[in-house]
Amino acid sequence: MRRTALRLIVPVLLLAAWQLLASGSATAPRPSSVVEAAVALVRDGDLLAGLATSLGRVFAGFAVAALLAIPLGIAMGSMPAVERNLDPLVETFRPIAALAILPLVILWLGSGSGAAIAIVAYAAFFPILINTISGVKRIEPSLMRAALTMGLTPLTRMRVVLLPAALPSILVGMRIGLGIAWTAIIAAELAVGAKSGSSGGIGQMMFVFYAYSIDLNGMVVCMIAVGIVAFALDRALRWALAVTVPWSRI
Amino acid sequence: MSAPKIRLEAVSKSFDASVVVEKLSLDVRDGEFLAIVGPSGCGKTTVLNMLAGLEKPSSGAMTLNGRPIEGPGAERGVMFQDYALFPWRTVRGNVEFGLVYGPAGQALSPAQRAERVERTIEMVGLKGSQDKYPHQLSGGMRQRVALARLMASEPEILLMDEPLAALDAQTRVILQDELLRIWGQDRPASERRTVVFITHAIDEAVFLADRVAVLSSHPGRLKQIVDIDLPRPRGDETRRSGAFARLSQSIWELIREEAYRATMN
Amino acid sequence: MSAVLSTDGKTANGFRRLDGAFVYLRTMALFVLAWYVGSLFVPSKLLLPSPLAVAVALRDTALNGELFGNALISLARLAASVVGAAAIAVPLGLLMGRSRLWNDLLELPVEMLRPIAGIAWIPLALYLFGIGHRLPLFIMFYTAFFPLLIGTAAGAATVDKRLIAAARTMGLSSPRIMWRVIVPAALPAILVSARLAVAASWTAVVAAELVGAPNGLGYAIEYYRSMLSTPTVMAFIVTIGLLGFLTDKGLRLLSRALTPWARTGAAR
Repeated sequence: MRRTALRLIVPVLLLAAWQLLASGSATAPRPSSVVEAAVALVRDGDLLAGLATSLGRVFAGFAVAALLAIPLGIAMGSMPAVERNLDPLVETFRPIAALAILPLVILWLGSGSGAAIAIVAYAAFFPILINTISGVKRIEPSLMRAALTMGLTPLTRMRVVLLPAALPSILVGMRIGLGIAWTAIIAAELAVGAKSGSSGGIGQMMFVFYAYSIDLNGMVVCMIAVGIVAFALDRALRWALAVTVPWSRI
Repeated sequence: MSAPKIRLEAVSKSFDASVVVEKLSLDVRDGEFLAIVGPSGCGKTTVLNMLAGLEKPSSGAMTLNGRPIEGPGAERGVMFQDYALFPWRTVRGNVEFGLVYGPAGQALSPAQRAERVERTIEMVGLKGSQDKYPHQLSGGMRQRVALARLMASEPEILLMDEPLAALDAQTRVILQDELLRIWGQDRPASERRTVVFITHAIDEAVFLADRVAVLSSHPGRLKQIVDIDLPRPRGDETRRSGAFARLSQSIWELIREEAYRATMN
Repeated sequence: MSAVLSTDGKTANGFRRLDGAFVYLRTMALFVLAWYVGSLFVPSKLLLPSPLAVAVALRDTALNGELFGNALISLARLAASVVGAAAIAVPLGLLMGRSRLWNDLLELPVEMLRPIAGIAWIPLALYLFGIGHRLPLFIMFYTAFFPLLIGTAAGAATVDKRLIAAARTMGLSSPRIMWRVIVPAALPAILVSARLAVAASWTAVVAAELVGAPNGLGYAIEYYRSMLSTPTVMAFIVTIGLLGFLTDKGLRLLSRALTPWARTGAAR
């Protein structure tokens, strides 16, 4: 009981400070007005539509990233020659943020969903790849040897030993990748919204609230929605990890 | 005397510049329990890995039933020092692994396979734990799973790399007894499987084996082969007997110098 | 799958390093060649300029000082915001990791704010700060803050209890234990989180400058995009990647120098 009160002190103080600071200005958002705006945005469906657009792009791009990164990661993790030759490309492109290539992607694919999916796929690709590689490389050598002594064919070994052994690491990569993908889509929609017209999605919605309708309450509602979705995605993948790898104690 | 099951002729193995095994010649007879002992650094695990086909000798010849050993094969089952249990598979999933995915169980119907798996699990005393994951088991139970996995495929030859090394002293004694029972020390010698058992514990080698091959270290060379003529079935009386103590002592004298040196580097 | 079967590797260390550089150059040469050939088949130089055009753009922007000027601005912002974030997040993280009271006080607000990406603050920051230095500084500070806080708290919370007990039996005072036992023990974790913070912050710099700054690498990329000068855009992208790589390498070296006892690892 006392502990719950303790945990609530700082959030309550922060909200009070926000309300006080904002009360001087007519346009500044306040906790109370943000709640009103949230109710309105949920009721007329705008918020959910924006979130649905962004989430659809994230899932599409994320699927593309996973389909490319997992097989490639397995190949690089299990075959040193492949890893040696492809590693320079990975190390060269990994430090380039997804947002940095946004101008090129817009040039190639326009400013619609195609560009958004490409940005998301690029952003999620590297965390999944890196974790798949390290998952495959860190497999207990004795497990592969055990399968070898039982006479398994290479393909069966990959399916029943390598893949399950690397799965926890692959799922960790997917969790990190999904988080980064969600951030990237917000940034991409925001930047496209700011610089070259309409993109749709929650990111653009925020920019419209800032630049055109000057509805700061709506903007803060969007920020909170972005946070809730990020939290929910992370929890969902943690849960998936716990369910699909019950043997792991991570 | 019949032809040997496994024959090693002047087998050497070196990694980079260091010679690990040098000119090892050794016959393993059909149905015998052969233990290989030696101080650390004598290359005994390397010998086992070469027999399993996981490593190739640098020179020399290795044959099984007269044919050269060229790689791993399901007729030689291996039990690893760290057990190498698949953490994502339950006890049953581990025991049936070789039967389901390897060549060993291809002739069996699913029902026969399941029957053999259950029988093997019962034999090692794991009935009731079939659905547990390895991380939920104690060290001794994991060792039993590994043993069951080895036995389920019914390989001709059992290769064991210090399978009891990670256990506490009491568990170890119990599992030595179990191992001999499962191997079939009550049955006539013609029905037993061939075992090559690596250990650094001399008393364990003497208790389990028909013959003990003693290796010296740096590089690993065959020092002597000691016949263990203790009567079977063996049990606690064997451990208390004077013959057991004398055999253990004589092997210890053979390697004492080197074992002492091994603790210093 | 050759990792399963051990082989007799005889390669000397120096030779292997030279070999690695050779493989790197070979792969990148093949990549650039593929790019060049590809650019021959793309009719529009706007869509895919040849690597040569990018090299020329790189040289031109380097010679007229634009490249270094913008890079310097972005790097200065990175340094200022990460150092600022560390100055607050590391002490707070140590408190959160070692004191239940502080953890109870701060855990909830941190968990509420952390999922809101720094980038999502850009519109609000535009309203609060307008376009200029303060917007990217705020966004990057915010982005670097949480990895540092969480990493430090986790590092401090998981210090081996026996080490603290040992120090206590030797009669060290609590502040001493904090400074002489907990901080060094948590340092590897703090440094790993610092690397994560820098990487995340460097990602955010592009977004923040692209939308809300009058200079910097992100701004330059967007400016040349609107000028339809694709080679220059690519030259700046290369620069961003290179600087991201070099800062991470630098931090790795720094970590190794500061914590020679720590084992490396922690892939992200």
